Amino acid sequence: MIGESVPMLDSLARVTGTLDYMINLRLPNMLVGKIVRSQSPHAKLLKVDITNALQVPGVIAILTGADLGANAFYGAGIKDQGVVAVDRVRYVGEPIAAIAAESLDAAEEAELLIDIEYDELPAVFDAQAAIQAGAPTLHEKFPNNIFKHAKLRHGDLDVAFAEADEIFEDTFTSPPAQQASLEPHVSAAQWDGERLTIWTASQAPFMVRKTLSEIFGIAPEAVRVIVPPLGGGYGGKGHIRIEPLAAAMARKTNGRPVKFALSRAEEFVTVTKHAASITLKTGVKRDGTFTARQVTLYWNGGAYADASPLLVPAGMVRSVGPYRIPAVHVDSYGIYTNLPPAGAYRGAMSSQTTWAYESQMDIIARKMGWDPLEFRMKNLFVSGDRFATGEELRDVHFVECLEASAKGLGAPSSPALLPEGEGKRGRGYGVMMKSTVATSKSQARLKLTDDGMVTLFTSTVEMGQGGHTTMAQITAEALGVPLSAIKIIGPDTAITPFDSTTSASRSTSMMGNAVVAACGSMRKKLFELSAPLLETPPDQLRTKNGFVVANETSISFGDILKRNNLNELNEAGEYSTSLGLDPETGQGVSTPHWHQGAGAAEVKVDTETGRVTILRYSAASFAGRVVNPRMAQLQNDGNVIFGLGPALMEEIVFDGGQPTNPNLADYSIPSIRDIPVELTSICIESDEGEMHGIGEMTLPPVAPAIANAIEDAIGVRIKDLPITAEKILRALREKSQP
Amino acid sequence: MILNVNGSRHEVQEGTRTLLEVLRDDLGLVGTKEGCGVGMCGACTVLVDGRPISGCLILAEQVVGKEILTVEGLEKNGQLHPIQQAFIDERAFQCAYCTPGFILSTAALLNENPNPSEDEIREYLSGNLCRCGSYQNILKAVLRAHQRV
Amino acid sequence: MNPIKFLEPTDFSEASSLLDQYTDDAKIIAGGVSITLMLQQKLISPSVLISLGRVSNYDFIRHDQDGLHIGALTKLRDIERSDIVKKFCPALAHTFSVVGNVRVRNQATIGGNLSAADYAADPPSMLAALNARVQVQGPEKKREISLGKFFLGFYTTALESNEILTEVVIPNLSSSARAAYHKYTSISAEGRPCVAVGAVADFDADGKCLDLRIAVGAAVETPQRLNSAEAMARGQILTDELVAAIAEEYSLRLDPLTDVRGSAWYRKEMIRVFVKRALQEVRNDR
Repeated sequence: MIGESVPMLDSLARVTGTLDYMINLRLPNMLVGKIVRSQSPHAKLLKVDITNALQVPGVIAILTGADLGANAFYGAGIKDQGVVAVDRVRYVGEPIAAIAAESLDAAEEAELLIDIEYDELPAVFDAQAAIQAGAPTLHEKFPNNIFKHAKLRHGDLDVAFAEADEIFEDTFTSPPAQQASLEPHVSAAQWDGERLTIWTASQAPFMVRKTLSEIFGIAPEAVRVIVPPLGGGYGGKGHIRIEPLAAAMARKTNGRPVKFALSRAEEFVTVTKHAASITLKTGVKRDGTFTARQVTLYWNGGAYADASPLLVPAGMVRSVGPYRIPAVHVDSYGIYTNLPPAGAYRGAMSSQTTWAYESQMDIIARKMGWDPLEFRMKNLFVSGDRFATGEELRDVHFVECLEASAKGLGAPSSPALLPEGEGKRGRGYGVMMKSTVATSKSQARLKLTDDGMVTLFTSTVEMGQGGHTTMAQITAEALGVPLSAIKIIGPDTAITPFDSTTSASRSTSMMGNAVVAACGSMRKKLFELSAPLLETPPDQLRTKNGFVVANETSISFGDILKRNNLNELNEAGEYSTSLGLDPETGQGVSTPHWHQGAGAAEVKVDTETGRVTILRYSAASFAGRVVNPRMAQLQNDGNVIFGLGPALMEEIVFDGGQPTNPNLADYSIPSIRDIPVELTSICIESDEGEMHGIGEMTLPPVAPAIANAIEDAIGVRIKDLPITAEKILRALREKSQP
Repeated sequence: MILNVNGSRHEVQEGTRTLLEVLRDDLGLVGTKEGCGVGMCGACTVLVDGRPISGCLILAEQVVGKEILTVEGLEKNGQLHPIQQAFIDERAFQCAYCTPGFILSTAALLNENPNPSEDEIREYLSGNLCRCGSYQNILKAVLRAHQRV
Repeated sequence: MNPIKFLEPTDFSEASSLLDQYTDDAKIIAGGVSITLMLQQKLISPSVLISLGRVSNYDFIRHDQDGLHIGALTKLRDIERSDIVKKFCPALAHTFSVVGNVRVRNQATIGGNLSAADYAADPPSMLAALNARVQVQGPEKKREISLGKFFLGFYTTALESNEILTEVVIPNLSSSARAAYHKYTSISAEGRPCVAVGAVADFDADGKCLDLRIAVGAAVETPQRLNSAEAMARGQILTDELVAAIAEEYSLRLDPLTDVRGSAWYRKEMIRVFVKRALQEVRNDR
């Protein structure tokens, strides 16, 4: 079963349009929720008067800051974000009130009648401006707006830089961007006395449960979180979003459920990709090795810390790169500004950091006269090396990933000038090294019934990555049952066991291992129960195709239960890791395994317009052991295509804190005509055969591979994403008129 | 007001609403999705008299008297339409939020042009966006489907 | 909220009278693309929609003695695919084939597209270069406006508040004339144009340019032609130097705007490039 390209289990529902996304949810007596949002980037709220709005026929209740208790604040690590704004707003689009009404029309009419008075405060939008003396403070607890500073200290930097023959210092930037899942954020909540049920399009149901139990002061078990399949997540649904607001609204509707479905414009002020400015100072020797690297990262976290207290340290680890560097110091700062909160964006933080370190690799190679591919090969980590955190690296395959990517481009074509108008061609490469979640836990429960059917209860979220199909395949193999006998239920926190989150490409490994453990227990139980029946000791039994098999005889799982007068068997499995780094030195173990990927691009640049065409792209990721080859390849391909967005086109433009392009007409995401003329990808497997997630690995190399190919083609270096035609043309002009 | 949807007549309430709202809210035909609300993404693609249209950009009142086809109308006698089968065979979706729109656009394309080149497919489907990035497999699915339709 | 009245007149004069009657409370809806968008985004709140869906006989493409006539209610997709249009001027059919996506082209009408006067549109530049005229119907009378005088500014046309565009007329091209349309998208291929250039040129037997008309759109508020630049070509062979000089003139004299698809600086550069490329195409097509 593992290694077979079975179609997604619910393929039929996916092509007939019958999959039950959150957006389709209808409950009896359900009300429509509408969020009233701040027009100001930073202001004291002098008045939020809902008197007239409450008179609109069809309006049932309105939630404002006045309804909130002292615990109505949340955030991963720093609880700074109110369910709605209480006395101050800090970004355009921040929820100030919410309306529950019989119809959207009624809610929209009421919205116009809410009287809000602002007392404007000075605002700051750029992270580095926000940490200057005199910049407005967003949260009094953090007067300089730095809410997180993650540090890595490895080796003596001064000594190591002194040993370098050349020192390079470059700054690379990424703008805010939107995850832009086609399905927006949707949540519905209903109270029954002191019990809360919430249906939500979230990647982290148990995080939602914990947060809501804390906000409302009820036991976690009193909160039931149900997550249907998602219409895309990409990190945007990875943390708490509108669930607290939906639940607080529903507390005022006398037990009637309320559903909030965000508009596309609201999506742009709900979560963004961190804008980042990353400076790399790197020392190299003339023999082509590194001596030292100092990385300084400024992450624009927006107005609330959100997931950033977790992501800023992750970004620190992910900023170093996959190369042997004796001395490394990193300072990673999470900074408040008056922009919408930032969160994970597919390839979280690595999308920004890989842009920096892989761009600088080519800058160094070109200046030193080295071949960029050879320079990488010479310095890439191999198994047994130690990373800047001090941890030993195992099962490392960067070289193979890069080799496979480069090979995938085919024989080098002549970089000679093409006819005018046709542009110039170039090639470039990128490699990425990404940690996954250091400390997390997955649990799985299996139920076998006497009809031989197996139900897997899992809180892994199916968001298009094929997570449920993967888990079914793992179950089929580990338990020895046909795929057709397996049913999957979840996530539903009332009946499916704990899982930290479906993100950071962790599920195949973490939940996969929990499923394997549950299958192991189930087999053990089946062996015990069937040994007397088969007159064979348990340790000489095996399972196959829904049967326990001895040398000569066998018995079906169902019959084992029947013969033992059992209706069902339940077994659980768990897999967890508890790793981490010293907060002062960044030394320790940062990840259970490393995500490894590479890409190679061949581009054509129109030197009159600056427009780039991706002629060929070849990607490789390290997958350990591939569960479903065709779906794995689809993930690889999809990552490259997704990655073209932040590389070439995506940027939320803010004017005074107001997004000016919060729609898919003015904010472009890649279309079928934007993809490479030729795109190939492969998954690399290893003898060790650990199953790894592959939801992100081929994404981060896309932008630097393209930028490196552009420099190869026309000799200009772009350091600020996205790589637009305009930036390229400007750089060409600056080069020709120094 | 009467709308002809998937071969049946449906009486729906008068009023200025988009076809998408009426299909989803009144008729419960939730296979048609809203993605962007501005006609860019194609998640709300339906066929009106055989032509793909953005359900979010047209008023229900404008399509009175026309034949509307949604993804729910593609199956015949419980059999998947060959395009739907081709999308499964080629693994042409991930989250699948965009899939009904792609399938209807493909149906219209193959009706207009039974033997499209790869460029013609790209051209025709370029207004349907897939954020998961399944485009390569979608291309293969359309090529496979045209051999069957 | 009061429901919006949906009226369905059966001819243009009735539609125009209704428009006259309701004045600012009413909006004309043809294909419905821009009206539905504006309704959804609450940019307009009319009490009456006057639909042209039941107006007959204005969905046509006809080549008469005086030129090509396209009824205002003709869908962009039908113009793009019309053999009459392809024969009359392939560049014109091409222009319509690159508007938005296939769904928009199936829904939008030429009358609606021009009346919306969206600067980031494709057809206006090509039609302006082709010296197109539009016929409009008021409650009392019809009149004709040359496209050059039709667009007044952002989303603003020369239509009176009670007038409706009924037909587009494109004068015949001489058999030696050539046309080209260049749409430049700076970000996604699916984006709206950053710069749009429509060019028409006629040549004598020796290859000398008899007449040149170039309209630049999408980068500026309304499609712009420059008599000074067009005149440079008259009686001349379109050498590389002359092409470059004309392109430079457009780049120099036009005052482009800045939006997400490009800065004013970049658009000046792109105007130069795409005027040049359009001219090269009409020249090399001979």
